[in-house]
Order: sequence, then C-alpha cells, then structure tokens
Amino acid sequence: MAHVVQPLDQPSNYKDSQSRVERAKQNDLLSKSTTLYIGNLSFYTTEEQIYELFTKCASPEDGGGIKRIIMGLDRNTRTPCGFCFVEYYTHAEALASMKYVSGTKLDERIIRCDLDLGYREGRQFGRGKSGGQVRDEHRQDYDPGRGGWGAQAQRAEAERRREVEERYADAQEGPGAVAGGGGDWKETETVDTSRKRGRSPEDEGDNLRLGHRSRMDDMEAERM
Amino acid sequence: MSYDRQSDRPHRGGRSRRYRADDYDTHDRRREAFATPEDILKGEIIKLGEDAIQELPRLAKQIREQVPVSVPVISEGIRMAVTEQPYKIPYYAALLRLLHDTAEGENAESSTTSSLGKQVLEDFWKGFQGYLDKLAWREIRLCIHLFAHLTVAQIISIESMSALLQSFAAVLDEFGVSYGRGRNAALSAIEGLIISGAVMAKSSSSNTTEIIKTIQNYNDSIYSSKLLVQPMMSLFTESRFVKNTDEVLDTGLAVLKALDFSEFAEASDSFPQPYLDFPDLDPTESAPFELPAILVPPEVIELDGLATDAGEDAQVKKEEWPHYFLHLFDDITTPDPATPTGFLIRSNILDTIDIFEINRKECARLLLEYPKWCVPGTFRPKPGAPVPEFESGKNWQLESAVVEAVLGSLFLLPDSTHKSVYHIALITELCKLSPSTVGPAVGKSIRKLYSALADGLDVEIARRFAEWFAAHMSNFGFSWVWKEWVPDLALSEQHPKRTFMRRALEFEIRLSYHDRVLKTLPEPMQNDTNVISDQAPGPTFEYEDPANPHYDAAQSILDLLRGRSKAEEVLSHIESLKTTLEASGTHVHVDSTIRSISIHCLLSIGSRSFSHLLNAIERYLPLLRGLAGTDTESKQDILSAVASFWRLNRQMVNIVFDKLMQYQIVDPTDVVGWTFENVTGDAHLSGMRPMSLSAFEWDLLRGALDKANGRVMVARRKVAALRKEHDDSVARVKASGGADVGSMEIDTEMKPFKQGTVQHIIVLAPSLTELFLPDDSASENPQLTVALKAFASLTREQKGALARTIEGFVSCLAPPPSAGRQNPHAQTVVTEQAWENRSEWQADEWNTWETWGWYRHFCRTYSPYLRNYQETLGTVGFAKIEGSTSPAAKLMKKTWNIATGQEA
Repeated sequence: MAHVVQPLDQPSNYKDSQSRVERAKQNDLLSKSTTLYIGNLSFYTTEEQIYELFTKCASPEDGGGIKRIIMGLDRNTRTPCGFCFVEYYTHAEALASMKYVSGTKLDERIIRCDLDLGYREGRQFGRGKSGGQVRDEHRQDYDPGRGGWGAQAQRAEAERRREVEERYADAQEGPGAVAGGGGDWKETETVDTSRKRGRSPEDEGDNLRLGHRSRMDDMEAERM
Repeated sequence: MSYDRQSDRPHRGGRSRRYRADDYDTHDRRREAFATPEDILKGEIIKLGEDAIQELPRLAKQIREQVPVSVPVISEGIRMAVTEQPYKIPYYAALLRLLHDTAEGENAESSTTSSLGKQVLEDFWKGFQGYLDKLAWREIRLCIHLFAHLTVAQIISIESMSALLQSFAAVLDEFGVSYGRGRNAALSAIEGLIISGAVMAKSSSSNTTEIIKTIQNYNDSIYSSKLLVQPMMSLFTESRFVKNTDEVLDTGLAVLKALDFSEFAEASDSFPQPYLDFPDLDPTESAPFELPAILVPPEVIELDGLATDAGEDAQVKKEEWPHYFLHLFDDITTPDPATPTGFLIRSNILDTIDIFEINRKECARLLLEYPKWCVPGTFRPKPGAPVPEFESGKNWQLESAVVEAVLGSLFLLPDSTHKSVYHIALITELCKLSPSTVGPAVGKSIRKLYSALADGLDVEIARRFAEWFAAHMSNFGFSWVWKEWVPDLALSEQHPKRTFMRRALEFEIRLSYHDRVLKTLPEPMQNDTNVISDQAPGPTFEYEDPANPHYDAAQSILDLLRGRSKAEEVLSHIESLKTTLEASGTHVHVDSTIRSISIHCLLSIGSRSFSHLLNAIERYLPLLRGLAGTDTESKQDILSAVASFWRLNRQMVNIVFDKLMQYQIVDPTDVVGWTFENVTGDAHLSGMRPMSLSAFEWDLLRGALDKANGRVMVARRKVAALRKEHDDSVARVKASGGADVGSMEIDTEMKPFKQGTVQHIIVLAPSLTELFLPDDSASENPQLTVALKAFASLTREQKGALARTIEGFVSCLAPPPSAGRQNPHAQTVVTEQAWENRSEWQADEWNTWETWGWYRHFCRTYSPYLRNYQETLGTVGFAKIEGSTSPAAKLMKKTWNIATGQEA
C-alpha cells in the first residue's frame, strides 16, 4: 500500500545487542511483537504518564490494552534511567504506537519507540558502565531530565571537584598567608588578557539544575 | 533532545536511513534505490510533480522510450500514483492524454495498433476491476476521478462513463443496502459527476438528473440515522441540517443540484484540467475508449457459524454512520464544501489524511504542499511568496482548511476513522513543519470549538476535544492563554465550558504533573478547585490516620503485606479481625468494612507505580479472590474501596478497574453496575445530585463494555483458529494417505494454546465449510470444546453488561415513577424551550443534559452489538418503561430504535 512514502511502523535498526536469537528468527518475532522499547525518557517520567500516552494506541474492543510497563532502572541505584518497555496485548497496538507516538513528546521530551523482541529478565537494567544506559555514558550535553551531564562527564566533573576541594587544603591563616601580588608598572608593558570566561551555552543548564526538571528545547514553540 | 537529532544516529542499511531521516528535503528523500528499469519507470511516474505541466512531456517521452515498452508496468505505475496521490489525478489524466498522441515515426503502424494511451487504459481497467472485486472503495472512487477527467479530455466516451456512474447509482436501489456501501457508492457517483458533469450534460444521452434523483432518494431513506451523529447535539430537533455542520451526502447532493441547475457551467474552473491545454482529439482518427459495463459486486457476508447460546449471531459488523463535519471557519477563510471546488478539496484532503496514516510526517508535508495541485489562486500564497499576477483567486487559508479537515475527521461520530491519537499527532507534525502558519490556525480552531461548547457540542466531541487539547499542549510546552477564559469562571460549574477546562487540565496533569500544569494558569484559576485540584493526585489511604477506629487493624494487615506474607495467612488474619469486629458489636456492615480496609491496604502497597500495582495484585490474587467471593455485593465493595482510595486520581480508578477485570476479580457487568449505582456525575464537587454521568463515568462504562466485547472477539478468533487447525490436521492425514483417520491422534499435533498467545493469531477469513463442523467433530477435540464453552460464557457476560448499561441509563433518565431516585430534569432538558433557556441552567440541568449525550453515544457506539442482541436487550433493558409515554421514555426508545436500525 505504501508506494509513495515509507510507513513509520517498520522495525528500525534498533536491536537488543545482547540477544542471541538469529536474524531471521528476530525478524519473525518482530513481525508479531507486542512489546515496545521506549527511549529518551526523562528520569522523572512516571509509569502513569507512560500509561496515559500509550493507552491512546490501545484497542480494548479488540482484546487489547496495556499489559504491563517495565521501567528501565539504573543497575546500581535502582532509579529510572530513561527507558522502558511497554507491552500490549496485541501487535497492532504496538504498530500504532510506532506510527502515532514515536517522535512525539512525553514530559516535554521527544521519545522514540521501537519494536522489541520481548522483555527478558535482566533487561530492565541499564547496561552502561555506570549502571545507567550506555548513551548516558558518553553524552556531552547537559540534560537535566537525565541526571545532568553524561556519566563519564559526571565522573570527570567529580574528579575536577575533588581537585578543587583539595587545591586549597593547605591554605594558611595569618600575615603572609596571602601573597602581595607585586607592585605597579615600572619598565616593561605586559599585555592585559582577561581571564574571565565568556558565557557559554552550557551555563543555561546551571540554572535548570537547581530545580526545573523539564527541559525546554522547544525549537518549535508555537504561536497561538 | 532536539527533533532532528534522530538523523544523526548511526544507521545500518540505506532503507532505514531514508525514512528515519527527518529532513524534509524532497530531493534527498526521493533518492530511491530502485532495482529494475521497470521499477525506475514506475518510480518516475509516481514522482511526477515538481512542475507537473513541464514534466509531463518529458515523462511521456521517457515512457515511450522505455525498451521494451511494457504496458502493464506503465499502467501499474499510474494505478499506484492515482490511488495513493489523489491530488495529482488531473495530471495523470493529462499524461494519458499525451500517450494518446501518435508518436513521431509511429505513423505507419497507427492504423493497425491502438495508441499507447489506449493500451495503458485497457490494462488500467483490469486493475480497477480488481479494486471492484475487493470493494476497495477509496481506490474505486479515485479511479473514477481519473475516468471522469479522461472523459472531459475526450479519451473516454461519454456514454460509457455515464453508464459507469449509473452502475454505482444502481447500488443505492439495492434492497437493504448497508449504509457504508451506500455512502461509498453515492460518493463515487457524486465525485465522478462533479468532475465530468460538464461534458456529460452536453451529451444527448445524459442521465445526470436521473443519477441525482437516485442519490436523493437514497439520502432521504437514511434520514433518521443522521439525527444520532450530528456534531451539535440537539435532543428535540428533527432537522438533519444543523448550523455550521454539514453531512457529506447532503452536501454532495446540494453541489450536484446546483451544478445541474446551471448546466454544469460552474464546474470547469473548479479544479485543474491540465489535459485541456492539449489540442482536441480527432474522434475519426482514434475513437474514444469505451469503459466496459460493470456490476458492483455484492458485499461478502462472512458466516463463521458461531452463535451465542441463545442462537443470536454474535458476529460484529462495524456499523457505518453518516459523516458530519464541523465548520470552524467561514467560507471566506476555508473552502465551502457546498461548492464543487470546496467539495473536491475536502475530499482530497480527507483522502490524503487517510492514505498517509502510515506516515504522519510525510502526510503533514504533503498537506502543506497541497496548493500546488490546485487551480492557482485557490489558496493564499505563503507569506513572503511573490504576489501572483491574477486577482480572481479564492485566497483561502490552507492551514485553516487542513486543520479544519483533520479535526473534522477526528470528530466523526461515533468513531473517528483512525485512532484519535493519529489526528492529534498529525496536527503536531503540521505545527512543527510550519509553526508560524499552522499555530494560529490551531489556536483559532481551539477557540471556535470552545465557544461551540456552549451551543451543544456533542459530549463525545467535547471529550475528544479535551483529549486533543491536552495532548497538543503537552507537545508545545503547555502554553495556552488560559487568561482569556477567566470570565467563564462565572458560569455554572457544570457548564460544558467549565467541564472542558477541568477535563483538559486533568488530562494535561496525567501527561505531565500537577505543579507543572498549575504554573501555566492565571491566579483566579489556580485557586479554583473547580478548575484544578489544589493538590497532586495522590492516593487517599483512609486508615492511615491513627485517629481512625480501624487504624490498628489496617496496620496489622499492612505489616503482613509488607512482609510478603502468604495470601492465605493474610486471609486468615482478616478472618480473625472480622471475628473481633463482630464480637465487639459496635460495628455494622462488618464485611464491607473489612473489605474496604483490606483493599485500601493492598492498594497502598501497590500505590507507588503501575508496576507496583500489578505486583501487589498478582502476589495477592488469592486474597482478592477471597475478598471478592461470589456475590455481587462484595465486588461492589471492592470497587467502592478502589474509588475511595484513588478519589483524587481518576486515571488510577480507570487503571485499577481495568486490571481487576483483567485478573477476573470483577466482571465487566460488576463495573457497569457499580458505575450506575455510584454515579454522581461530577456531583462530589457540590454535594449530592440527581443521578447523572460525566465523561469520567463514561470512561468507566466504556472500559467495561470494551473489555466484555474484546473478550468475545478473542474467544471467537480462538475458536476459528482451533477449527482451522483441526481441519488442517485432518486434511494432512487424509493427504498423507492415512486410511484410519480415527486412530490418528490429532491432539498431539496441536500446540497448546495459552492465554495471550492466541491473540497474535491472524485468522484468515475461513470459508463456511471450513468452519461448519458437526458437533461430534468438536467433541473429538477437547480444546475446541473448551473454547466453545468459553465463547458461550463470554457472550453471556457481554450481553449482561450491555443489558445492565441500558437499565442504568433508564434509571438515570427515565426512571419509573416507583423508583427511589428521580431526576426531575431528565424530562425537562430535552425540550426546545429548556434548551433556549440554558443560560439559566444550573449544575443539575447540565449534568442531566450530558447524561443524555452519553446515552446517545452509547447507542451509536455499540449499535453493532445492540443490533445483534436487540430482542433480548430491548425487552430486558426497557422493561421498566414499557408503554411509558413520558417524553424522556419516548426519547430513550426512539434513540434505541434508530441505533438498532428499527427506525428508518
């Protein structure tokens, strides 16, 4: 039926990298799958919010509905780490989500849906080195909905903070503890370069970190 | 995460890249990797378009130069293009016109072989015949568009075209033609006539007037069904014409009549006719193509031999209803569907919405590109685009027209053609593509709909409106100018505008969270609990307070549940609590109290998330079963406890009820019964009210009825699958030459069916003989026997739930004088006089009016089921008001009769 455009309900290149099922079998499973992998969730998004959105694709009159939701958790902290599985009773409902929900916003983030081979024990946990998702390991941006900086960046920041904290551990009191700084100009002129850092886009994130959990990345802010 | 990030992801394989990439650069997108020259040619045909008029000769040349010329390839390309891109049809007619010319160097042969165009058309006809056989109505209608244009282009003979349209009109004279078939056939004839009428009218053998008459007669015959699906609900009117709405057949007829009156003078400049730019064909050189005569094949009724135990047919055939569309904008802003141009534009837009449901992003792009397929000047040029030289254009607003059509299709009653979330997502994509032009159109539409709420906008449309509003806002930062609705806080708290605000905000909170939504409101709304609750929708654990007399009992149960004690232990502990309570003698309703405490405790340990709820239920299923017992009363207690625990969160009430049905703790009929016993509408907000339903109660009812219906559907598929499997294995045995079928163990070949897996089985429509098995063969197969038994009990449950619903509505709207609870407004709000005075209405009147709305919606939504069981349901459900002549009782019966097709 679709000779003009590509349907949105086709399996993408998403796959369970740890699945040991062979390719042909995987495709067969996907063509009947009732389970979706949902990505790019905010860590703060609740199962009820997910339920509310995905129930719009349910067909209870056809024996369908949301069977269960499995929240993706950080392996170490057991806190949501930004993905989940939504399992329906029918394949058609999973396809409907691919067509109508994938690429729309939930909790003000564009989420993505992919057909999944089906939930297996252990898959509810992040596979990143730090316990969360792999993508949060190397992320370079500041994403307040997903714990701020990527895990690696966070570790680097913790390292920096430690350095900062240790740097003045040897500070002393009393006269002579603070250097004088040298006298006025005498003979040779030095170039005065400002050491003050310019304002960078990341600074936006510092404000958000304080409390806002939502990320307003509305390029498409709408004028009513 | 920005939207275009997706395309940066690493891709494997070009196939996924093509449609994952979200840039809308048409040239990139069309870099297709077709394999064979045939595919390339088909692709070229489908792609026709950047500047169709200039491309046409080049494309015609390319088609001719293909070696070897393959007529089927060309015609298939055109067939795909026509049925999937309705807006380009006039240009494909022009392409065929070009292919009709004798190519240079072909002169010598022209006398012996027919032109390439004619050969292609002959082959195209085969495809059309295929659509006819399948009764693929949209494809049929779009092919008729092409034929109609070709008739104007003199390629198809006027006589054969008029005979074709006559064949579709003939469908309308069939005895007992279904509405869906009737509308489709009528639309095919109407649109064919609008396009080709101008040349047909000039012909001596014109049957145009006759066809119009046939459609008119048909349209008159389906008069009453229109009353139930009008977007503006009127409980008293008998008129099918309602202000600011139009029904598609009414409008089509009006267009045709006007055209007929003016002898189709208006038609010619209503749509593009690029083929007229070419010189007239000489009929002596090449005779026009004669379309073969057709007969529209009858609808196939699939019988699967499955009846309920009362012998009723349990098969559900989706009922089609007349299509009414809301007009949100005036005729200066968007095309008037009652004109030839307006009618065809709406038809094009609706077809585009329908066809590209598989890819909403592409759909949005195509819709915004639509003007390039229209007569220049039809739509206002884009801001910044060069001002065209002509003055006579209609200059309609494309975005308003598109949003109006998408919403029109979202608001069709009783159901939209696709899931409502498709329309919602499509509007989101439109806004993303062109925020500065679509945004305002969306904003205006919201305001128009909001003001329609005061004038009787149908309750179901109002519900979908709230759903769309919330989902849309959740995609655009919840930025709505709520301030402009502050003056409406003066209205009665149950005025439709007030209930809309409340529901829209409730839906927004479900998709987001309380504080986030609260922040978007102006202060007068923030502080009004009739607009938004003052706290986040958390659980209400009644026995949490140490001052509660049952605090200790609740704590002791909680301790057991938290300690993951076995369900049996908890049950026996509850029994002992009960004994203590009874012994104390100070408590009445000990059973109910115990149930309430236990359910509160169970929900409390499951209150942290949906998964926690499922875990709690699953771990304590035996406990729940023990509490539910076998009597209706205890199930009512359980549902009441759930509703009280989640009184601040209606979403959770819905979810818990659904899962309690799923785990078979309660039946759908219990939920229906509970809903009607406890209906207060939104009455808890302002004390006790007469019985009435709000959208929340409707959601509960719908959840229960859909569950009952869905189960029957699954059971039916299971039986069909088992029968097929059974037959197949018998056939296999026979085929392998096994003489003694009887000794063969068929069962060992069958995989056991588990709950859940059966839902994935796609049942190919089995033939009658495959399914019709004598009883003894079923008894050979124990699984089939079990499945048939399940089917019988599920259809009983289904019928019970439906009957209970009707009874419930009767008790709300037309209770017999003897009934304990009476709603004095049920009789009065149905009159025209009362409606005209609605500015005086208080909460009770509005609640009652809404309840009438849900009753209508129940009847039209479930009409296929109601029809199957109309004898029983009609008798049981209306027993209490049999023979009553009160206006309310009469309106109830009339609505029922229309829905079940007993009133023409």
